[in-house]
Formats: sequence, C-alpha cells, structure tokens
Amino acid sequence: MSTGTMKEIPVTELNIPQLNQLSQQLEQDVELLQNSMSSLKLAQGKFSECKESLGKLTTDNLQKDILVPLTSSMYVAGQLADVDKVLVDIGTGYYVEMKLKSAVDYYQRKVEFLSKQMENLQPVLQEKALMKESVMEVLQMKVRSQLAAHQHLATSSKS
Amino acid sequence: MAEGLQKRVQQELEKLKSIQKDFQKSVSGRQQLDSQLKENTLVLEELKRLESDSAVYKLIGQVLVKQDLEESKQNVEKRIDYISKEIKRHEEALKDLEKKQDTHRETMAKLQAQFQQQIVKAAAKA
Repeated sequence: MSTGTMKEIPVTELNIPQLNQLSQQLEQDVELLQNSMSSLKLAQGKFSECKESLGKLTTDNLQKDILVPLTSSMYVAGQLADVDKVLVDIGTGYYVEMKLKSAVDYYQRKVEFLSKQMENLQPVLQEKALMKESVMEVLQMKVRSQLAAHQHLATSSKS
Repeated sequence: MAEGLQKRVQQELEKLKSIQKDFQKSVSGRQQLDSQLKENTLVLEELKRLESDSAVYKLIGQVLVKQDLEESKQNVEKRIDYISKEIKRHEEALKDLEKKQDTHRETMAKLQAQFQQQIVKAAAKA
C-alpha cells in the first residue's frame, strides 16, 4: 500500500492491532527477501557448476567415451569430439557458440554478477529484519503493559 | 434512509475491491515485464560481446535454428524497446488506478462516517 506522501509515525505511537499488522507485513517482506537471496545463491551455484564442467573439456579428454543424455532417463554412448567450441544458453532462447575460454569467461562473469546482486541485497534484508525485531519489541512491550493495566484494574475493582 | 446509505457503502466497497484487483494485476504484470527486460538486456550485452563470425542459434520450439548475429541483435533490441513501452503503459495505468483507489477510499470513509452518524441518531431517538 503506497501513498503519494508518507508521514513518519514513530512505532511507539501505533496501537496493538496496527503493530500486529505491521509486524506481519515486515515478516512477509523478510521472507520474500530471504527467498530471493536463496534463489540467487542457487543460480550462482548452477553457473559455477557449468564453469567447472567446462574444465573437463580438455584436449587430453578428446575422443574419450562419454554418455550423452537424450532424455532425463536415457543416455547414448559417444565420444568427446570437440573441446574447442561450446554452445552456451544466454537467455530468451538464444544459444551462442563460443570458444571454451570465452564460455569460461561468460560463466565467471555471471557468477560475479550474482555475487554483486547478493551483496546489494544483504543490507536491505538486514534492515528489514532489524525493523521487524524492533516492531515486535514495541508490540510485546505494549501487550505487557496492557495486561498489567488490566490486572491492575481487576485487582483494584476486587478490593 | 440508513439502508440507502448502507447500499451505497456496499457499492463503493465493491468498486474499491475491483480496482484493487486491477491494481494487483497491473503490478504483477509490471514485475514480469521488468524481469523480461532485464533478461533481454543481458542477452543483448552478450551478443554485443561476440565477434562477428560467432554462431548464434535461437531455440524455436525444440529446434535450434541458426541466426544471423546482426539480425539477432536487432531482434533483441526491438524486443527491449517494446517491453520498455509496455512498462511505461503499465506505469501510467498504475498511477491512474492508484488515484482512483484513493478517491474511492475517501468516498468510502465519508460514507461510513455518515452511516455512523445515522446509526447514532437512530439510537438516540429510540
């Protein structure tokens, strides 16, 4: 929910249902950011793996027997024919034939790009987590003081 | 009199809900376009890095079809342009919907206040 102008209201001025809502919203935000972070790590792992498997395509391994997957459950025997060029998926359905070294470079760049994205995300995630903590603290404080007030009323009305 | 007011509150509420739904749809459409734009920008960058004799293939269905490098670059550039325009359209629609949301919320608040007053008056009379 965004408005054109936002006013700063100190968290302590909010009442309990509002604080509840706010803490739930922040919880969702933190979860979303954590999921994004995991996705980035996962993607980075995949690119890293690609780079490493390229390392296996050496001239020493030329003509060696390999198993080529035709489907996820069927392989076909073959021989390593070309260690010079590889076909790289660069996105949106485009594949590019690259020299081995360029492909290694490509994956290295992707890994670094994702590292940077994760670095940028980290402080945002931390800030949200801290905000959530402080909102929960204020919420607990208010709940405690409200309980205490009720008890006080209950005891004073008895006596 | 109070019933007429209540009906109006209901109507406003429903209008508000449908505007919010449209707003959400626009927001998620905008996010999807954004990610498409980023992906296409990365692809264009890679294509630009290639030497002019590199082979480029496009996955059409289950077939890899050889493409001309220049043509691919132009295709991706055109797609980027199109997506940027779509994003602008969505942004304007979002701004519009947001304004509508705000005006409807204000009307709602006013109607509800009136409604409350009606109830108070009715209770006072009884």
